[in-house]
Amino acid sequence: MAIKQLSVLLPNQYGMLANLTEIFFKEDIDIRAMSVYDTTEYGILRAVVDDPEKAVEVLKKNGIVAMLSDIMAVNPEDRKGSLNEIFHILSNNNVNVDYIYSFVVKKGGPQYFVLKVSDIPKVESLLESHGIEVIKKL
Amino acid sequence: MISKEDLKHRIWSTDETLEREQYMALQLERLKKTAERVYEKVPAYKKKFDDAGVLPGDIKNLSDLKYLPFTTKADFRDNYPFGLFSSERKDIVRFHASSGTTGKPTVVGYTRNDMEVWKELIARIVTQAGVTNEDTAQISFGYGLFTGAFGLHQGLERVGAAVIPMSSGNTSKQIMIMQDFGTTALISTPSYALHMAEVALEMGIDPAKDLQLKWGLFGGEGSTESMRNELNRVWGIFSTENYGMSELIGPGVSGECLALKGMHISEDHFIPEIIDPETGEVLGPGQVGELVITTITKEALPIIRYRTKDITSLNYDKCDCGRTTVRMAKIQGRSDDMLILGGVNVFPSQIEDVLLSTEGVGPHYQIKVYKKAHLDKIEVDVELTDASYLESYAKLESLNQHVRNRLRTVLGIDAKVNLVQPASLPRFEGKARRVIDLRKED
Repeated sequence: MAIKQLSVLLPNQYGMLANLTEIFFKEDIDIRAMSVYDTTEYGILRAVVDDPEKAVEVLKKNGIVAMLSDIMAVNPEDRKGSLNEIFHILSNNNVNVDYIYSFVVKKGGPQYFVLKVSDIPKVESLLESHGIEVIKKL
Repeated sequence: MISKEDLKHRIWSTDETLEREQYMALQLERLKKTAERVYEKVPAYKKKFDDAGVLPGDIKNLSDLKYLPFTTKADFRDNYPFGLFSSERKDIVRFHASSGTTGKPTVVGYTRNDMEVWKELIARIVTQAGVTNEDTAQISFGYGLFTGAFGLHQGLERVGAAVIPMSSGNTSKQIMIMQDFGTTALISTPSYALHMAEVALEMGIDPAKDLQLKWGLFGGEGSTESMRNELNRVWGIFSTENYGMSELIGPGVSGECLALKGMHISEDHFIPEIIDPETGEVLGPGQVGELVITTITKEALPIIRYRTKDITSLNYDKCDCGRTTVRMAKIQGRSDDMLILGGVNVFPSQIEDVLLSTEGVGPHYQIKVYKKAHLDKIEVDVELTDASYLESYAKLESLNQHVRNRLRTVLGIDAKVNLVQPASLPRFEGKARRVIDLRKED
């Protein structure tokens, strides 16, 4: 089963992020990974949280639209060249990556990163066949 | 700069200097004819008169005008496209249109005689604004369905000015033509004129020194005294403002003379009134209220007591220029929420209509209007209601572009669209204040 990612519209205004993290904090939702890019007009916040369904519910209660989508999480080996290998495998197999971002790393903990591709099951098997660990459950 | 003697030479027609009694007699006679014409030929007017319990024959004095029914923008909409016309198709020689409140434009028509009247009215206005047959007049209004460009064009030709039908846009070319053709009179919206001056300066041309402009005739949107001063300074010109609307004829309803003490209304063609916009009651000279105008010489589309929604006052004193026609003060505001963006009329409700019929966004919106490089800019905040657009920036961007394109197609405006969270825009009970107009300066 793929990991769920949360996408939230984030207008380019002061306090938007704080507003969101405040809601998560109050509702006891743990943010595991997060990304926002510096687009000019508005951003899309993408996050992996411990309870995505609940997150959508509480955001909705606060008038914030969020959507869930499937992403992959990969655990590359902690050595030089491991990412290089992964992206070469993808590239050699014509897999287009929409975007990537990293999990928040706990000291000594695993170093997951998020991979957005269109055909998740296919890419999962592809990477696994090359001995790369794909995270199925957080 | 301009002597009283000089002012007197700048009167186009002796009909601009009649005695008050002569105007009143002329107006009464023409009002009766107009009322009879619309009652007989326009079913919508017959119904209006009947509903108001008044017949054209009841008009005995000019003061009886107040018993006649008003005409509003809604009447144009309800009778789209030609329902208010009182001439047959074969007698119409020209159509024009302006944006309406529901996406359908307001259509107006002219007979051959209407065109003559229009030319005459414009000839008066450009003459009183300084233009003669010695001038080269560059028209930088957009040519097309809007009345501005063609209206001024015909009247300027009548006074013998050399007309350059430049249209709007392509600003650096405008400056080049001005320089090469020796333009002496500029006809545009005041904001576009300010923008053109900036472009000229960027091109290394000082409009006040390097060009030969003498006169600026501005209209299509309101302006302030500080804008006038700025226009005079940057262009080295004498600016006047003129006023009109397509429902009444187009430009030519009124305009300033060089004395700059209000805009003269040609009273042999129009009867102005000022009313309390709430009660409809007629107010006296000098009192501020909504301008209501009755056309008394038009054939194709005579209009009884048109509510312009523009707030002003009337002054019947004789002007320094020698004209005896009534003058209206600079427009102080609107009694409705219409916005004028670069000369284009936009009602916030039109924006709402567009949003309501666009999937993925909600009907709530907030409009911000401001000036950038002297041009009107509009931003529309709309709520994203369909989360599936968050899948990618590309989807969100294409939704944004879609809303923007629809606003452009339906309203003719280029708005910046901001997608915001649902329920994040203010909701209103009663009269909504969805427009933030940052253009107001003085």
